Amino acid sequence: MTFMWALYAREVKRFRKLMLDTVFSPIVSMVLYLTVFGVVVSAKSIGDISFLAFIYTGLLAMIMVNSGFSNPGFALIIAKNLGSILDLQVTPLRPWQIGIAYSLAALTRGLFTLSVALALTVWFIPGMTIAHPLSLLAIVLITGLQYGMLGVTFGIWAKGFEALTFGTTFVMQPMIFLAGVFYPVGQLPAPWNLISQFNPIHHTVNLFRYSFVGYADTAPLISWAAVLGCSTLFFGLMQWMTLRKLAESLQ
Amino acid sequence: MHALTVENASKTYKSPPRPPLKAVDNLSLHIPEGQIYGLLGPNGAGKSTLISMICGALKPDPETGSIRIFDKDVVRQTDQAKQLLGIVPQEIIVEPAFTVEEVLYYFSGMYGVPQAERRKRIPELLESLGLADKQHDKARSLSGGMKRRLMIAKALIHKPRLLILDEPTAGVDVSLRQRIWELVRQLNAQGTTVIFTTHYLEEAEQLCESMTVINKGKVIKEGKVKEIQQEFSQNIISFELYQSEVEHLAGVRRVGVEFELPFRDLVQDMRGLLDFYGDNLKSFRNEAASLEKVFLQLTEGGPTP
Repeated sequence: MTFMWALYAREVKRFRKLMLDTVFSPIVSMVLYLTVFGVVVSAKSIGDISFLAFIYTGLLAMIMVNSGFSNPGFALIIAKNLGSILDLQVTPLRPWQIGIAYSLAALTRGLFTLSVALALTVWFIPGMTIAHPLSLLAIVLITGLQYGMLGVTFGIWAKGFEALTFGTTFVMQPMIFLAGVFYPVGQLPAPWNLISQFNPIHHTVNLFRYSFVGYADTAPLISWAAVLGCSTLFFGLMQWMTLRKLAESLQ
Repeated sequence: MHALTVENASKTYKSPPRPPLKAVDNLSLHIPEGQIYGLLGPNGAGKSTLISMICGALKPDPETGSIRIFDKDVVRQTDQAKQLLGIVPQEIIVEPAFTVEEVLYYFSGMYGVPQAERRKRIPELLESLGLADKQHDKARSLSGGMKRRLMIAKALIHKPRLLILDEPTAGVDVSLRQRIWELVRQLNAQGTTVIFTTHYLEEAEQLCESMTVINKGKVIKEGKVKEIQQEFSQNIISFELYQSEVEHLAGVRRVGVEFELPFRDLVQDMRGLLDFYGDNLKSFRNEAASLEKVFLQLTEGGPTP
């Protein structure tokens, strides 16, 4: 296990060394979103909760998804560009160990960023409590790992920074913004409300919100089924990609 | 026992619509334990592809032969084979975020070296490579030569029995080259088998007992360095004339400002040369074939004896 933990520790060390970019940058974005969308439109409420609490919980989910995806995605693409991907190929690490180590590092970064974000911004929402703590713990852990696995798959697949920009700008960002972070998807006109149900990030956002403040756009059971299904799919994709690609030249 | 055995290994790159390129073509190598062994070949000969297959970064073509490091098959016994091998790649690769110590600490962990052992080995290794005072410096702040030594440290941190250096002296200054040679000799004296690829034939002459020349993915010559030199020795008298536009002796050919005469009997042919050119002969020398010439003859299909 030393093999895998050493890689995990290296990847955690990497994001800790670049905290301004990896931890504080998403928090600054979150505060800006809260200020612009939340404080300015704070009069409105959605169901029993304030609009501010609505987007706050969505933004926390967004941080977790982004941190999970970016950590292995960027690390692997940088490694390919530098040539240090060779470190993974010459050492006796199995492809599955590489995938798990990077995913766990992604979860660690997500947990760290989420904790700092909560500590710094929770005062935005007076009287904030956690409606379903066990559900929250589960969705936080699953999200970090799930999007970490997707980040590993993407990082191994992508040939360079352009592909990564494509992934973040044209795939992840639209999926995040159309996931119901800033609006309830149930209020969307047809067929967009139905299409949103096929966006896996919507179910993550929905469960974050349900766990924190008890509000859900989509029935939590449906969202749990979607999240667990996607996790299995992303795990399978990561296994397939690491096995297929890591034994071949990645450069 | 052989440190490295390559038997009928092939690697084909397929990138349609271009035709498949066979970078390594049914190649076999047997490198004995305890040697410093040279692997020579021009650019594109297949050296780096072969090394990538040996270190596990590239899979050989299916249904081809085998590659074994101290009898551990690199495909079927990957973990054991990788533990026995240290590799210094051609390019200098430095992780910008980490210090010299961190680079070695995490990398050795990925070989399963226990933490306490890592803490002990890193300063010792850095000391032996002249990097002791750089332990806590950022790896990217090192000079080119120091980065090269850090790459060597990475390859040695898990104490491999076989070390492969892929053109370790390309682009380094004379003093660093001497230092790397010295290090290679030291490691070899301590029992490590060393294989290195190079363009500098002087290195093969200086360091290696044996060598293999490969071209277009195939072995074109292998054996003791001295024997290959002797085999290709051309027995040539090179000479200069004061007045070159004259009638020449049969068999003389012009090479730049000089002339060359292949000989069978040095004394008799030298006498013939003196008699023919007389006072017009400015200088002469008997030249042994350099490895450079052997290399060019082998790889460019030049004349062979």
